Amino acid sequence: MAKNDLQGTLDLLVLKTLAQNGALHGYGIVLHIQSASGELLRVEEGSLYPALHRMEQSGWIASEWAMTETNRRAKYYKLTVQGRRQLELAQESFDQLVKGVRAVLRYA
Amino acid sequence: MGAFRRFTNLFRRTAVNHEIEAELQAHIDLATERGMREGLPPEAARREALLRFGNPASTRERVLSADAALSFESVWADIRFAARQLLRSPGFAITSILTLSIGIGANTAIFSSMDAVVLHPLAVPRLDRVVTVAEQQISGDFQIASLANYEDWARQSHSFEQLAVRTGKDMSLTGAGDAEHVQTTLTSANFFSVLEVQPLIGRVYGESESLPGRDSVAVLNYGFWQRRFGGDPAVLGRKVVLDQREYTVVGVMPKTMQYPSDADFYLPFAPMQKELQNRTDRSYFVTGRLRDGVTIKQAQAEMRIVAQRLAQAYPSTNRDMSIAVEPLLDGVNGTYTPLYYRLLLGATLFVLLVVCANVANLQFARGLQRRPEIAMRTALGASRTRILRQLLTESALLGLLGAAGGLLVGGLYLHLILIAMPARIARFMAGWSNISLNGRVLAFSLLIAAGAGIVSGIAPAIEALRINLANQIKAGSRGTTGSGRSHRLRNIFAVAQVALAVALVVGAALMSKGMWSMLHLADSYRPEKILTFNVTLPPAHYDTVQKQVAWYADSLEKLRALPGVTHAEISISLPNSDRGWLHDLEIENRKTVPGKYQSTLRIPVSDGYFLAFQIPIVAGRSFNRGDSLETTPVAVVSQKFVAQYFPGENPIGHRIRTGGLNTTEPWATIVGVARETSYSTWDDTPQPAVYFDAAQVPPMDTTYAVMTNGNPLALAPSVRKALVSVDPNLPLDMVLTYRQYLNEQMTGLIYAAVMLVIDALIALLLAAIGIFGVMANLVGEQTREIGVRLAMGARREDVLRMILRRAGWLTAAGLGSGLVLAFGLSHLVANLLRGVRSDDPVIFSAIAVAITAVSIASSWIPARRASHVDPMQALRSE
Repeated sequence: MAKNDLQGTLDLLVLKTLAQNGALHGYGIVLHIQSASGELLRVEEGSLYPALHRMEQSGWIASEWAMTETNRRAKYYKLTVQGRRQLELAQESFDQLVKGVRAVLRYA
Repeated sequence: MGAFRRFTNLFRRTAVNHEIEAELQAHIDLATERGMREGLPPEAARREALLRFGNPASTRERVLSADAALSFESVWADIRFAARQLLRSPGFAITSILTLSIGIGANTAIFSSMDAVVLHPLAVPRLDRVVTVAEQQISGDFQIASLANYEDWARQSHSFEQLAVRTGKDMSLTGAGDAEHVQTTLTSANFFSVLEVQPLIGRVYGESESLPGRDSVAVLNYGFWQRRFGGDPAVLGRKVVLDQREYTVVGVMPKTMQYPSDADFYLPFAPMQKELQNRTDRSYFVTGRLRDGVTIKQAQAEMRIVAQRLAQAYPSTNRDMSIAVEPLLDGVNGTYTPLYYRLLLGATLFVLLVVCANVANLQFARGLQRRPEIAMRTALGASRTRILRQLLTESALLGLLGAAGGLLVGGLYLHLILIAMPARIARFMAGWSNISLNGRVLAFSLLIAAGAGIVSGIAPAIEALRINLANQIKAGSRGTTGSGRSHRLRNIFAVAQVALAVALVVGAALMSKGMWSMLHLADSYRPEKILTFNVTLPPAHYDTVQKQVAWYADSLEKLRALPGVTHAEISISLPNSDRGWLHDLEIENRKTVPGKYQSTLRIPVSDGYFLAFQIPIVAGRSFNRGDSLETTPVAVVSQKFVAQYFPGENPIGHRIRTGGLNTTEPWATIVGVARETSYSTWDDTPQPAVYFDAAQVPPMDTTYAVMTNGNPLALAPSVRKALVSVDPNLPLDMVLTYRQYLNEQMTGLIYAAVMLVIDALIALLLAAIGIFGVMANLVGEQTREIGVRLAMGARREDVLRMILRRAGWLTAAGLGSGLVLAFGLSHLVANLLRGVRSDDPVIFSAIAVAITAVSIASSWIPARRASHVDPMQALRSE
């Protein structure tokens, strides 16, 4: 059964973003999701940061402070080995969800 | 990994806090930068970034809780905050903590005595695995077996690791001051290993010391060691003389091993070969420890088969005999004690509920005052769950402080319970001496304290959250009026308090009434004018019936000759004394129906007994001096006996005997019928009774009743002297007035009744305070409305009536539901007592009136204040 909550979707987006881009700070994650989705998805900061910290506590991502290209200190996140495994699970679960929803929509 | 980080976060909360802030700030800075890069002026870019980000404070809170340092760290912060809040309203805090202390304290005391007496009376490892095994003929709680059957059980059963046997024996201890009558328990050597107990000092005896002739060693019970030897460890190796035989003390059992609770000495049981083959003398108690994995049910099933096998092999003695396997604990506790305790603990938990309702009402009132604070915190971004947690932390803290106070109150209460118990009675209650505030009690107190905190806090906390933010902030700190919902809740709590108090008061009243009538059952005998004591004849000295009869004749003659003595009689059982056993009854020329047993009380009395106790002989004759060992044995029977065994017949002339199966006892001819007399205090269904003449059937163990017109206790020294002149070696037990003797039988009941009354009074007081609180609050909130009413021409009496009517509604609702509750529960009390009906109309109506009076009294002050409101002032103040 697919785990089909919205929280899971946000986690998936973040994990996927980090898998593709290496290390990114929170703002970078927001921008990436926005542009990669063709401006369709806009992540709320109020949900993003709690999610980032929760995932860090779960050991899926790790963080360190580094300088941005404009010489500003920011906290960068990157995927851990455990996070890569979690990404696979989340992706699979999401695929199931999409498949399931499609099947229901096509039914008629 | 995550858990470790959460844990380390604990120690660097400020650092974590700063880090989150920096991270969020960086985000805003980056967004501003980008805005500027896209051509916005710096100010606009910044505004745009902030707007986009939303409320940074609330995001920070949520990130922080995701960091889950919250689990420990923020709880601690909550506790500190809660403590500060409580300090800020000391009146509320002190009142709440005091009421909680009383509620929790009472529960702590009852529970710790219940824990010691009922739940863990013996320090026997895995007590639930220890059972008693008994032959069962007439169903009852009699646990008794014959020796030969015991031997067969041990051989034929597989459910038990071991079976042990014991039997009680009265002995006299001589050679050290006054002769003393002691209770000894003869046990097989494995008795101690079945129970898995170790002696406190010294050792227990082994198999080699359980052989006839080698068995002269004794183990002391703790209580007797303390009483008789002052707890001197040098008692080991000492010689004591029991029934003219010398024993060496080899060990002392620990305080926590009062089993059987009346035992003074444990002696090795060394049966002769002949005794081992006896199947008719059923006077042995069998204890066993179940093998691992065997349930009581399985053991019971196995023993039923063993019983059938034995019944086939020995039909003359074992036909219709089954075997009962029961937990040892059931036998130790008896029937009434656990019931009393359950009743009391239930009542005391009711008190705790009343306390909770009271504290909840205080919290409601306080919640109203705190609305601005809560509104402010909500406005600043605190989530509902966060505030709820904070409020509940406060309640839990109150509960814990209440627990601390409760332990003090409980300790004090327990101390009172302990010192009020007569030592004579405490001796016979296994576990009584173990009562203490132990770990289990502590855990129980903390548990109910946390429960009480949450129960009393949850409704007010949820109510406190239901606020209209905008209105609240607009109104500022003025106008703290409760919502209709809040009023309804407060009313419900007040009604619940009254209802619980009504139920408790009814229960306590029924119990007290029952106790009172039971205490006065025997009044017609003038029990305060009768001296009673017990005598047990040592069989070694009084080995013939002639010697026994002579003792009674001589001793009674001496006593009757004493100045001031009007009567001196003996009886195995005095009226209402709950002594004496049921015996099998045989009627000559009447076939017994298998499976249907005839039984009767068997009461040997001296010939003047009926006269002294004013029991009329309604037919035939009484005993007289002419009845002796040389004449035909005679018997007098009770009216109930006639009704049961000779309905519509004249019993006089029929012959009966009570010796049980295969008895050699001679037949006794019924010569008279005595008026029905109750020998029990507890049981109001009369048992058939047969009286024998002690001059023909002398008892070995009996009660003397010496009647006088003066103070019976003043008679005691001359009674002692008179008896010593007959036999200097015979000990007297329990020299008391008959009144004292009867009252001691009911110590447990008196205890339970007193504690129930205390519970009820506490509940009543709290309910009165509850009504007062609700009404005072109502008047406070409605001062303005009352002012308007008065200004519009309402008379003061109208206001008074209006407020009292409100109080009346609360009381009526509480009284109504309380009476229903009481009616439902009162049979629990009534079942325990004699002479009480669960629907006693006098008690129910008296209590309805009393509760109404209490509640009107407690709402009188607020109502008067309302009627004295100055309309001008009330209107101006808002």
